[in-house]
Amino acid sequence: MGQLYDLKVRIEEKIKADGLDSMEMKGKLGLRSGKLLSLISPTTPDNPETIAKLKLAAKELLKVNL
Amino acid sequence: MRWNSIRSKVLAALAGCLIVGVSGTLALMHYSFERNSQALAAESVNGAQKLFAILEARETSKMTAVSETLQTNAQVRDAFAAKDRARVMDLTAPLYADLKREGITNWMFHTPEPDMAVFLRLHNPPKFGDHLNRFIDKEVVRTQALVAGNELAKAGFAVRILTPFYDSHGSLTGYVEFGEELGRFIHTMKDQTGNDYALLLSKKFVDRQFWADSSAVWHRRDNWNDNSSYVVADKTTESDNILRFDGALDTVPQQGKVLERFQRGNAVFVRGIFPIHNAAGNTVGAMFVVRDISSFYMAMKHTQDVLIGVTVAALLLGTLLVMVLLTRLVFRRLDHIIVVATRVVGGDYHSPLQVTSDDEVGKFEELFEQFRRVFVDVLASVPELQEKR
Repeated sequence: MGQLYDLKVRIEEKIKADGLDSMEMKGKLGLRSGKLLSLISPTTPDNPETIAKLKLAAKELLKVNL
Repeated sequence: MRWNSIRSKVLAALAGCLIVGVSGTLALMHYSFERNSQALAAESVNGAQKLFAILEARETSKMTAVSETLQTNAQVRDAFAAKDRARVMDLTAPLYADLKREGITNWMFHTPEPDMAVFLRLHNPPKFGDHLNRFIDKEVVRTQALVAGNELAKAGFAVRILTPFYDSHGSLTGYVEFGEELGRFIHTMKDQTGNDYALLLSKKFVDRQFWADSSAVWHRRDNWNDNSSYVVADKTTESDNILRFDGALDTVPQQGKVLERFQRGNAVFVRGIFPIHNAAGNTVGAMFVVRDISSFYMAMKHTQDVLIGVTVAALLLGTLLVMVLLTRLVFRRLDHIIVVATRVVGGDYHSPLQVTSDDEVGKFEELFEQFRRVFVDVLASVPELQEKR
């Protein structure tokens, strides 16, 4: 537990670092991965499939390997 | 712009319309030009045929009047009745000089049947005593009345009249004949219409040796071998290039025939041909008609260019208008809905979508806004979001 939340945090940091519109980019990532980022909390169970989809979305949209 | 976007599809459809519009204009102009040039050619052939008939009738009438006037001349009547060739020659030679200026090139006196020989040729006095044995000779003997028609003879192809000639007692003393070369007609016709003409004679009715001899006499190139079935007797154009007919003259239909159009440099011509019959009704020749339709062609090209320009401009303007309208009424508003939807998913629950119009997209905006509110309301009950809200 916590891997998915860590990934969310790193994504938010990357968005902030790149100066992107946070809501829009998180929306795109959520739509691409099929998971609302705002629903990911430290207690959210890790789902390998969701993690993989979110990483892939981050790679495509943020150009970053997380 | 993606190839499968609505913009691409609309642009492709409009480009298709442009291509269809331009192609349609070109096809329409081509069709119109084909039909009009065909009509002009048909009109030229028909007009030439009528003009030829009028000239033929006019000259026949003129020669008939001359023969009737001659018949009233007692001196000529008596001299011919006495078969005094020198006297007839003396009496008629001055008149022949005048008639020649009016186009009457042939004038002959014939002895009566059964001999029916040439008694005197005003146009070639040393030559007499021969028998012509033509259709009109037989016909005038049979009918004992004036016979008129075209006759191909050694002196050339001419419209002729042959009429009985009587002495002062009303007894037949022979026949008198006048003729006018048909070649002269085509120059008159050119003067009147501006078209070019050529008189073609079927080789079946022309003696090869005679043609060679007459060509030498008239200092004319012997053109016998230029065409397989006919010779060009006279023409109004220097060039033979525009005179092309591949066929036998006796296959030309009575009402004439329009031949193919052709182009030489910037000039465009239509051509046609109609048959010429002799007095016996045989197709011994044909009249070739050439009409320059360059000015008509240029006018058509100009109209075509203007039409294409107008079509292209109208379609480009239409394309621009359609794309501007689509962008303003559909694409921009759809993009805005996408942004709002994306932001809602990203956590922005406080930016409502403004319904901008009551049209189809406006109805979708309204529906989406209602959906967004339901979505936000549902999310409000999710524990993970309680503290964030």
